[in-house]
Amino acid sequence: MPKCKINGKEVDVPQGTTIIEAFKASGQEIAHYCWHPGLSVAGVCRLCMVQIEGQPKLQIACNTEVKEGMVINNNSETVKDTVRWGLDFHLINHPLDCPICDQAGECGLQEQYMQFGKYDPEMAEHKVKKCKVVDLGPTVVLDSERCILCSRCVRFTDEVSKTHELGIFERGDRSEIGTFDGKPLNNKYSLNTVDICPVGALTSKDFRFRQRVWYLKEHNTICTGCSTGCNVKVYYNEEGCWRVKPRYNPDINGYWMCDEGRDIYKFINKKNRLQEITMTEKGVSKVFQAEELLPQLGLELKNAVQKNPESVALILTGQYSCEEYQSLLNLMVKSWGLKNVFHWVNHPESMEQFDGLLLRGDKNPNTKGLLNELDLLSLTQTWKDLEEKLHRNLIKHLIVAGPENLATFSDVKEKLKLFSSANKLIWLSAGIFEGVSSVCSQVVQIPTKTFFEKEGSYINHKGMKQRVTPGVEIVKSALSLCEFVEGLHHDNKGAHFQDMDSALVDTKLKEPLKENFFTATRGSL
Amino acid sequence: MAEANIQNKNNLFQLSPEGKEFVQGELSRYENKYSAIIPCLYRCQKENQGWVSPACIRYLSQIMEIPEAHIWEVAKFYTMFNKEPVGRLHIQVCCNISCALNGGRELADHLCQTYSLNAGEVSSDGMLTISRVECLGSCGTAPMMQINESYHENLNPEKAEQIINELRAKYGS
Ligand code: SF4
Ligand code: SF4
Ligand code: FES
Ligand code: FES
Repeated sequence: MPKCKINGKEVDVPQGTTIIEAFKASGQEIAHYCWHPGLSVAGVCRLCMVQIEGQPKLQIACNTEVKEGMVINNNSETVKDTVRWGLDFHLINHPLDCPICDQAGECGLQEQYMQFGKYDPEMAEHKVKKCKVVDLGPTVVLDSERCILCSRCVRFTDEVSKTHELGIFERGDRSEIGTFDGKPLNNKYSLNTVDICPVGALTSKDFRFRQRVWYLKEHNTICTGCSTGCNVKVYYNEEGCWRVKPRYNPDINGYWMCDEGRDIYKFINKKNRLQEITMTEKGVSKVFQAEELLPQLGLELKNAVQKNPESVALILTGQYSCEEYQSLLNLMVKSWGLKNVFHWVNHPESMEQFDGLLLRGDKNPNTKGLLNELDLLSLTQTWKDLEEKLHRNLIKHLIVAGPENLATFSDVKEKLKLFSSANKLIWLSAGIFEGVSSVCSQVVQIPTKTFFEKEGSYINHKGMKQRVTPGVEIVKSALSLCEFVEGLHHDNKGAHFQDMDSALVDTKLKEPLKENFFTATRGSL
Repeated sequence: MAEANIQNKNNLFQLSPEGKEFVQGELSRYENKYSAIIPCLYRCQKENQGWVSPACIRYLSQIMEIPEAHIWEVAKFYTMFNKEPVGRLHIQVCCNISCALNGGRELADHLCQTYSLNAGEVSSDGMLTISRVECLGSCGTAPMMQINESYHENLNPEKAEQIINELRAKYGS
């Protein structure tokens, strides 16, 4: 364990640690563009210069190992001046079009400039003009002029996605990022290049020009797109959610996430959501308040189960939290005596698939959690059993905790057809699916909260339990399954069960945004 | 000829059996197979009428097991690889310092005028391409030009024309 001194502070690091890693470990700032902890070292931006006592020249921190007794600093005038010039060279051909740049507010160049800008640049040459809109592929757009050629994106496609689409072509100040012979940048992880691009050269087609980042807030949560459970941040404002980015978790997703997972903000947004509790009978729909409908529904279901347990069935998808399964099963199985509980698997054929990096065929965040709960209560009926019971018209009441992320359920239509032999369908879902209201002669639709609006835990494919907390309220009348259960077995009408976890709801949005929210939290570029 | 070359843009490319053997040899020669990219690109250029087409890159990528983008990076970096078709006689006139001082730039202009070509263009009969290039390492005999693989030194406009005309007559038949 070599010991070194960084800006006067004693630091102890494992053998083989580079100086830049030691800076990070000791919580000290160091300018850098090309180094990224998830990629190999390129040493091309020359911004991470440090002075090492006893060495005549400055060294780059990203490619120099810490040796016993090294005395290192990056706060001497020599270092600062070098970084200042390094930055000025990066800016020779940079267009400085921050006002129209999507990266403004979270840009490495802007951040370093605040500290190391020459403010009075001495470059008199004309800037080299390059293409500002290069359509790299289905997800990413390149502005060649803004690129500082750090090569992070190239290393990402070489080392992480291993798809090798990107390269640096031509040389000198004509160098440009590009692909060979117009081949698109098209892989399941392509948007990570946008995250790691330290400037506004790579932007996401989905997000560009839609919001200014300093008006967005971020909420830490997990991706519910598949059973991997990548750690993510969802960016939102008063109008809804706008983008999803990965959050570092060495045990789950490292620094990355897949492109598919970035779409999960879409189904959370209001326009894609079921808005009201409704009951539809003979083609007429009526809107209800939860406290009007649920106690009565609870009574009806309870009586039905107790009269004939075979006549009621509960169908669960792997989309909900452990706590929600528990409370639903506690009420219906443990206290009412329900026997018919079934697991709706949306992609039975690909459940076990894995692409070798992150993406899994099980498109549910909590299949494992659900199976655990079913196991604990020895609920072992299969889908085949359900089909048979439905065909024999045994089931009158069907409660379905359905899809939250409808995009991952390609079989809803087919399943609804199967459900149509019941008399009454109680359909819980966050999204809107055409035709649900006419499946059975009586259909109750209850909007559910998404992972972004509730508290709960999810167990990923390898058994890691992760907790999510509520971001903001998006659909006012949506219920979590816990709240639904609370409503069902509440005898007193008008109880405020809907506020059950509202104490946890983040209301900070109403407060003014603090200083420069993004630059303050963007330690790792 | 030029047309054949342009068509070649979309065509499949394959090295001759000796060419393939050459590539295998280069691959085993270096510690890092990326080092073999330059000689292999040269070989393709030679077997592909003087230029490296996208088809060449795709072909090399397959046999060398190196991503296309990285072979293309090398081809794009070096100007001695022609990324567009060239005539059968590729005339590269040096316009760098020593040659420039001795009339290299004027020579290039003169030749372009004489043969009614813009620099880099292929003549309609597919015979000629004139390019202005940087130092070819023959500064002591400036001005000079390279035609295909041979150097022609201590030039003046008349001498250069004469050489080109002779070669054209030879290659044209
Ligand atoms: S596009 Fe961005 S990530 Fe890629 S080399 Fe340029 S600056 Fe770096
Ligand atoms: S791999 Fe799965 S959990 Fe991770 S981002 Fe993609 S869909 Fe979400
Ligand atoms: S971060 Fe060290 S050279 Fe770029
Ligand atoms: S300058 Fe022409 S050969 Fe060197």
